Amino acid sequence: MPKVQFINPDDVRKPSQLEFNPIPINQYNKTIEEEKKNFSREEFLRIYNDMVVIREFETMLNLIKTRGEYNEIPYNHPGPAHLSIGQEAAAVGMAFTLGVEDFIFGSHRSHGEILAKGLSAISKLNDEMLESIMKKHFNGITLAPVVAGHTGTTQELAVKFLLYGTLAEIFARETGFNRGLGGSMHAFFTPFGVYPNNAIVGGSGDISVGAALYKKVNRKEGIVVANIGDASMACGPVWEGLAFATMDQFTELWEGDMKGGLPLIINIMNNQYGMGGQTCGETMGYEVAARIGAGLNKDQMHAERVDGYNPLAVIDAYRRKKKILQEKRGPVLLDVLTYRYSGHSPSDASSYRLKEEVEAWENQDSIVWFGNELVKAGIAQKEELEAIRSNTADLITTTLKLAIDDEVSPHMDMRKYPNLIGDMMFSNQSVDRMDDREPEVNHPMEENPRVKQLAGKERFMFDENGKPYSKIKTYALRDGIFEAIIDRFYKDPTLIAYGEENRDWGGAFAVYRGLTEALPYNRLFNSPIAEGAIVGTAIGYAMCGGRVIPEIMYCDFLGRSGDEVFNQLPKWQAMSGNVLKMPVVIRVSVGSKYGAQHSQDWTALAAHIPGLKVVFPATPYDAKGLMNAALQGTDPVVFFESQRIYDIGEMFHQGGVPEGYYEIPLGEPDIKREGSDVTILTIGATLYRALDAARILQDKYNFSAEVIDARSLVPFNYDLVVESVKKTGRIVISGDASARGSFMRDLASNITELAFDYLDAPPVVVGSRNWITPAHELEDYFFPQPEWIVDAIHERIVPIPGYSPENDFTEEEQLDRNAKGV
Amino acid sequence: MAIPVLMPRQGQSVESCIIGQWYKSVGEEVSEGDILFSYETDKASFEEEAKSGGILLAIFFEEGDEVPVLTNVAVIGEKGEAVDAFDPHSDSTNKDIAGGGGTVERESVEKEESPKVIEFEVEDDVPGKRVRISPLAKSMAEQLGVNIQQLKGSGPRGRIIARDVKNAAVQVQPEPVQKPAVQSPAPKPQVLASGVDFEVKSISNIRKLIATAMHQSLQNSAQLTHHLSADARQLLKMRKKYKDEFSAGNISQNVTINDLVCYAVIRALEKFPQVNTHYLGDKMKWYKKVHLGLAVDTERGLMVPALQNADDLSITGLSYQLQLLAAQARTGNVNPDLLSPEAASFTISNLGNYGVEIFTPVINLPQTAILGVCTIIPRPKEIEEGVYGFVPMIGLSLTYNHQALDGGEATRFLAEVRDQIENL
Repeated sequence: MPKVQFINPDDVRKPSQLEFNPIPINQYNKTIEEEKKNFSREEFLRIYNDMVVIREFETMLNLIKTRGEYNEIPYNHPGPAHLSIGQEAAAVGMAFTLGVEDFIFGSHRSHGEILAKGLSAISKLNDEMLESIMKKHFNGITLAPVVAGHTGTTQELAVKFLLYGTLAEIFARETGFNRGLGGSMHAFFTPFGVYPNNAIVGGSGDISVGAALYKKVNRKEGIVVANIGDASMACGPVWEGLAFATMDQFTELWEGDMKGGLPLIINIMNNQYGMGGQTCGETMGYEVAARIGAGLNKDQMHAERVDGYNPLAVIDAYRRKKKILQEKRGPVLLDVLTYRYSGHSPSDASSYRLKEEVEAWENQDSIVWFGNELVKAGIAQKEELEAIRSNTADLITTTLKLAIDDEVSPHMDMRKYPNLIGDMMFSNQSVDRMDDREPEVNHPMEENPRVKQLAGKERFMFDENGKPYSKIKTYALRDGIFEAIIDRFYKDPTLIAYGEENRDWGGAFAVYRGLTEALPYNRLFNSPIAEGAIVGTAIGYAMCGGRVIPEIMYCDFLGRSGDEVFNQLPKWQAMSGNVLKMPVVIRVSVGSKYGAQHSQDWTALAAHIPGLKVVFPATPYDAKGLMNAALQGTDPVVFFESQRIYDIGEMFHQGGVPEGYYEIPLGEPDIKREGSDVTILTIGATLYRALDAARILQDKYNFSAEVIDARSLVPFNYDLVVESVKKTGRIVISGDASARGSFMRDLASNITELAFDYLDAPPVVVGSRNWITPAHELEDYFFPQPEWIVDAIHERIVPIPGYSPENDFTEEEQLDRNAKGV
Repeated sequence: MAIPVLMPRQGQSVESCIIGQWYKSVGEEVSEGDILFSYETDKASFEEEAKSGGILLAIFFEEGDEVPVLTNVAVIGEKGEAVDAFDPHSDSTNKDIAGGGGTVERESVEKEESPKVIEFEVEDDVPGKRVRISPLAKSMAEQLGVNIQQLKGSGPRGRIIARDVKNAAVQVQPEPVQKPAVQSPAPKPQVLASGVDFEVKSISNIRKLIATAMHQSLQNSAQLTHHLSADARQLLKMRKKYKDEFSAGNISQNVTINDLVCYAVIRALEKFPQVNTHYLGDKMKWYKKVHLGLAVDTERGLMVPALQNADDLSITGLSYQLQLLAAQARTGNVNPDLLSPEAASFTISNLGNYGVEIFTPVINLPQTAILGVCTIIPRPKEIEEGVYGFVPMIGLSLTYNHQALDGGEATRFLAEVRDQIENL
């Protein structure tokens, strides 16, 4: 909603019609003879060699999976192997022109792409760089098995290293590229520009866009290629990624050298099947996948279909498309037509296609065809090609022997080091900035209008007489979040933030007010309404080395980014063997008043998934301190905020919210009110209702409640809570989430186990009802209220003389509600 | 050369397939690519092609047979070639199959291991109804000597809660509890059969706990005991010195022989940190401080309270703390945390007062060792060359867990204790 763009009704209401440009299909028609001037003999042979290497590598895997042996070497590989036999020309063509600094992302079927890009990078790196890369990776652990007894050149060693690192990874060996934690569908090796492959179909569709965004925003060289399948074009996150990648603002609003499109090629590896579904004619309607480009932007994403059975046709397309990206006219969509002879996986009987169809494609096999062409054109002798094939078979045989040798390629020793994987779930680093250059800002921080405004605010809620200041004068929770974030924008040049109406509007809840003035477009912008892509691009951005704050405007929209938050963000640090860091802080605002789809507290969903840190501060002091700590870290943090209390002042921390920088460590709950008779542990904004309950208990019944604010959910240090229970013997846990399956239940169960002998009653959970959230007018019957907490104490923990409860917290009611599922 | 036709493996989870239909019969000529037979997994059906041409010499499985993957189902070769070697039903190939399926076998062996049975003890010594009582109230009742059988609970559903115990404790006890807590509410012994010359009494909870702990200790560790004695002359001299000073009123603490031995042991533990440990099976917990467990004989049974950070204390401080702890244990108001075997890093059990000459104390697991202190007996000793005299010697019995310590280490530690005692 930038004001510079005037939507003139006179213009937009005018009749006219859209014109589309023709989308080229398989237009490449050069002969090898004609291409002789564009390729050296070595290059022709390299193309052939690389295709042969991929074919043999995957043939070996196929034999291991289906027959349990290759070249009489028996092995049992229980894990997955989604093979791309038949697609080699597409992979080699894609990778041939790419530089080391160009990144590729892939799918579950990406062994071929890893090898193609790896081989391409090896051919472009000098010996010194290759040696340094190989020696540095896990301090030479991956290199050691192949370097032993190696006699050839460094490049030959690097090829062995590539094959071995990939295969050891597929076989879950500690010496693999990702310590065996990624496996077949996730293997990657960033020093060769191979970024994560993804076992979720279309998973790279938005992550790769974030990588391209990283390259652009941080002025890094190179382009990004997303290798995704034809069937993934049905996935919502892929469309969201495409929408994000083609935003007008890159060319219309971003300024200076930032003006222009993303350096991104969406490379559809179109093998014409998605599992057993045929994308053309059955499960999709695009007929030719390149058609999709026409629906996305004026440039039609420069889409075209290329014959992926001719490596030279693919290379030709890449040479032309890279030029478009250099001119900042990206992104590009390529539909690379290919075919897999192998099934979706080795257990696929190919019952959905004719044997004749597979044979017809095999008859046009790209390796055989290309080899014949080379011989015909006098570029290579038959014997030379045969030598390539037999050398490759030897190489793969040696690699297999090494990779299955438990002595040189052990699995992780989980018996000896039972916490190995646990230690990799988080990187737990403290890093001021992810890059050293000067951060790009529009003015010194002290000139910022919001910063100036905050200078005049009261940083503690009450005056010396205990009277609260007026709302407008009080430094609020939203100000605490703002201060932490703007501070980081001035420290870390890589930090960017985006979400729905983050710029100009300053966020729906005014947290970012003032940031628009401070930051250029490329550091703060509005994203499409696409939660999947908002989080997905942030993952790609962080993977490449940036820090980022994506925003989910309402917690209820978290489901829209389900795969990104649950499958991608939490997994990549450990799945990479700790090669990658994931400094992403997702701000998630928890609503109320807006009914069933805008008022839910889904903290439990985030807390349930291993690999995410989860916080939910409820005071300005905690919000600023926890945001500082989250932004200083290198782990993904889901940062919950409550819309009920964006305007609340600081009423606990003496002296108010400090102006300077401080961190509150994640995982430490905090006593907000001391007491001796019962402990009330709260999550999020429920804190204030618990404090009201504590006042009722004290004033009316002389019963002293200790109130603890959980502040964090993951990690969570139970010491303070257990100590409190030792003192009071009683505990109520309250929060705004629907009680069933909530994090409150997890707290209750852990406290029961940890403090059983000190408990005078089972811990009681007072959460929201297991209903839809009703309208604001009825919310008091849904969300926990102070009286509910008192009632629960009376009915379940210690009957209060003279008290008559209003709400039914009896065991009968609990049984009944559970029996009904409400 | 005859070539076997294998039942292919379609995916890792597939262990066997069912033969659907044979398209070729024995004796028929087949060419490469011909479909030989169809087969199914639980997910899908497949057709297997001939990988080589020749005569179908033998078929080992019929339609409908379930065949383990990678098993020979047929043989293709030239007329007259022998096929028996490929027959999976014959002995020679069966062995191969067993070898190939090694992992499967190992798994099944593991599965056969009987699951661990954990038995819960049922408290049946409580006559009448089940008492609803909170864990906190229960431990308070034990400490305050309140009989929960007679309590009426004021908690939800009549649960006895902390405040009920507290109120009862105030009413029931006009005089401070000197007697052991459990004695007064001990239920009447149940006589199960009349007319016999014995009665069967249920045992107290603490007895049960001790029984379980002692039994487990002997079952779950490799215990053995070394005996050694130390010249006690210095010990007795020190004891006399402190006794005199105490009588004279110079010090407020009557330092006993036990205190002095404990002091010596602490010093020895500082030199042998491997003894000041817990043995946890796959790891050892090395304590940086000495938390000394002291076995105390109480009317309720054996209790071993721990003295935390005993190495920080002077001899008089140690004496005072040990006395306090023993008294608390006897009156039953010791902090329950200190009674857990995890609370102490090493334990001393002194039976010297009772005249015990040698014994084999039982380790308080997970602690690595326990020292038994025995009585002082005059023993002949060479005082100077060729001259023998009787010297008071104190017996020391070190039981240690051989899983954690070796004999040499244990002996050197015990010798260090001796040296410390002799050079107090």
